Amino acid sequence: MCAFLLIVIFFDLVIGKVMAHFYFKQISGWEYFTRYAIEETKADLLIFGASRAQKQHIPAIFEDSTNIDSYNVGKDDVSILYSYALLKSVLKRYTPKVIILDFENKGFVQSAVSYEVLSCLLPFYKTHPELKETIEMRSPFEKYKLLSSIYPYNSLIIKIIAGNTTFYTKGKKEDKGYIPLDGKLNRSPYVVNLSTPNFEIDSVKVEQYQLFINDCKKRNIKLFIVRSPYYFKTIGLDSSISLAKTIAAKNNIDFLDYSTNELFLKSPQLFNDTIHVNTTGATIFSAMLASDIKKRLANK
Amino acid sequence: MIFNSVAFILFFVVTLLLYYCLPLKYRWWWIIATGVFFYCYANPVYIIVPLFIATVTYIAALQMQKAATEKKATSIYLLAIITNIGLLVFFKYTNFFTNTFIDVFNLFNSSNVKVSNPFLLNIAAPLGISYITFQAIGYLIEIKKGNHEAEKHLGHFTAYLLFFPKIIAGPVERAHNFLPQLKAIKPLQYDDISIGIKQFIWGLFKKLVVADRLSIYVNAVYNNYEHHSGITLLVTAIFYLFQMYADFSGYTDMALGLARMMGFNLTQNFNRPLFAKSITEFWRKWHISLSTWFADYFYNPIAIKKRDWGKWSIVYASFTTFIVLGFWHGANWTFIIFGAMHGLLLSIEFFTRKSRKDFRKKIPAWFNSITGIAFTCGYFALSLIFFRADTVTEALNILRKIITLEGRFFLVDPPTLLLSLVVIGIMYLIEFKKEFFNSAFTFSENNNWLVRSLFYSFLLIMILLTGVFDGGQFIYFQF
Repeated sequence: MCAFLLIVIFFDLVIGKVMAHFYFKQISGWEYFTRYAIEETKADLLIFGASRAQKQHIPAIFEDSTNIDSYNVGKDDVSILYSYALLKSVLKRYTPKVIILDFENKGFVQSAVSYEVLSCLLPFYKTHPELKETIEMRSPFEKYKLLSSIYPYNSLIIKIIAGNTTFYTKGKKEDKGYIPLDGKLNRSPYVVNLSTPNFEIDSVKVEQYQLFINDCKKRNIKLFIVRSPYYFKTIGLDSSISLAKTIAAKNNIDFLDYSTNELFLKSPQLFNDTIHVNTTGATIFSAMLASDIKKRLANK
Repeated sequence: MIFNSVAFILFFVVTLLLYYCLPLKYRWWWIIATGVFFYCYANPVYIIVPLFIATVTYIAALQMQKAATEKKATSIYLLAIITNIGLLVFFKYTNFFTNTFIDVFNLFNSSNVKVSNPFLLNIAAPLGISYITFQAIGYLIEIKKGNHEAEKHLGHFTAYLLFFPKIIAGPVERAHNFLPQLKAIKPLQYDDISIGIKQFIWGLFKKLVVADRLSIYVNAVYNNYEHHSGITLLVTAIFYLFQMYADFSGYTDMALGLARMMGFNLTQNFNRPLFAKSITEFWRKWHISLSTWFADYFYNPIAIKKRDWGKWSIVYASFTTFIVLGFWHGANWTFIIFGAMHGLLLSIEFFTRKSRKDFRKKIPAWFNSITGIAFTCGYFALSLIFFRADTVTEALNILRKIITLEGRFFLVDPPTLLLSLVVIGIMYLIEFKKEFFNSAFTFSENNNWLVRSLFYSFLLIMILLTGVFDGGQFIYFQF
């Protein structure tokens, strides 16, 4: 039994080392952006948020419009928990000048998924102490699971292989975090009632949102909180949005709401699906937002 | 508390340590205490239900044996059976029956105002109630038949029903298999721990690496089936077959491994059903403890009672048994259709067994095996569409889309899809080797400890590397 345990520990250490080596050597792909955002980017304009940030904000357009070096650190399925953890890592290295936080409908909803997706931060647990608190939100047992050297790379093997090859062409360094979508809708927008179904507000998320704002204010970073376009008309009130707007207003932060922009609501061809614009839509939206931000920066 | 959670592992380690520290004669007490804790962890109120079932069944069995007349014994027997079935029906099927009644009423209701169900119960069924009641009923039948003596020790009988490894997903353990082991309880043995851990690791691999990995794609598609193409739904149906098998057999392996570590040999519930060459053979390999329970206490009595009907008695018994077996899985017409589909094919296989046997002689054995396995798995995957769907309409819509095979394949997360294929391949290869080349070189049972250790290390490393540690819920939990 002891010999068996020693064999398991040996393989765990060796394979864990190999995984770590290749994880941090990725040149493209799904996990490359996460590592680059945490460890390398020095861009002065950073875009935070989930898939709607990653797929709707094109850094190159922001750079052209504002002359500020930009990078998109958005990631699929994440919430403010991930965004704030990432901000802490960034602020440990340098202070960006401008931050855009893409805020989604139901952004404060209580959801287990928001905690599960924090697994993308596991490879940084031992090397980035500022991320420990966020990672340990996943479960009270997380620190014990992390005694294993392989566990931080759980489910990442295919992504790491792809990231070390040219197998996956999307997600290269020159894309600066933006991932384009190519689909096109061809129907009229649905009506979505934002007040149903009722959901619980996650106080941890609200707290992290407030901390995100506080940290930006402390470092004199110009923060813009943005709701990018959706392809559906809305009725009812999303309590997350009203709370996010109230907190932003209290802190004198601009909350730019493009969620019901008429141009986008009339143009299904600009959308890949109802919650993500396609490349054409992203180009138009990024130019619109960059121009708005440029004006606001000039007035500040 | 599911077996693949850290909370459970901690609970089990403490349970096992104290279990072996206690004197042999008091261990039944610890089995009850841990069973009660396990039950209360899910919902403390519901512990009353299994304790009530245990007490009623225990008293009834003793009274049946003591009864002066056969008539009195039968009355006690019927009362105990009705109590058990009544509890099962109340907790699991009340809403189904009242909803069906109201639907029929509304169908013939000429007014425009439709009546809503005033009897709707907003309660969850107690954990594992189907398993507990079936074990209790099986025990009562055996006592009534005079095959076994009634248990005289209430504590032992309660320990039998509340033994926590089998509460959630069985097996449907027979009392005459479990109780003698409880009475002849033995001291700590290296083999029990070693074999138990190995079986647990194999179950954990199937559950975390295969089932929960596949569930990511399956849930993404089935939860929004109306937006997906026929080809996507076809692949999902095949994935669901493997997910279902890995999930249920994985969980059972874990249960058997845990029980073995505590010195108990529970009934094997799966015997590589994905290699069955017919549906008849499939049900001898899938959920064996449940199918033998139904065979002994339902199918055989019906077939014997209707033997005057000749071959049709088999058709009648098959259909009735499988419709009830389907309904046991859940209070929904989808489960009834699932059962009926199996009853139908079993009947067809019964009527065609001679012609199929003659045909098999004319074709190569390997070809017969491949086509038999492919057809059986395909048919089971098809029936699982009803098993998984929320409504019959939903299942039919999925089938309609699959038949047309229209649209593009849903490829949202290639790494997950690729990993799913890899882990299916690993599980299938290991089982294929066990099924067809069991006497050849073996990794899991090799005489050399290093080979064995490397094999189980490989499984553990695969669990760490590719297991899904978040959000996996056991599908059979709800039964």
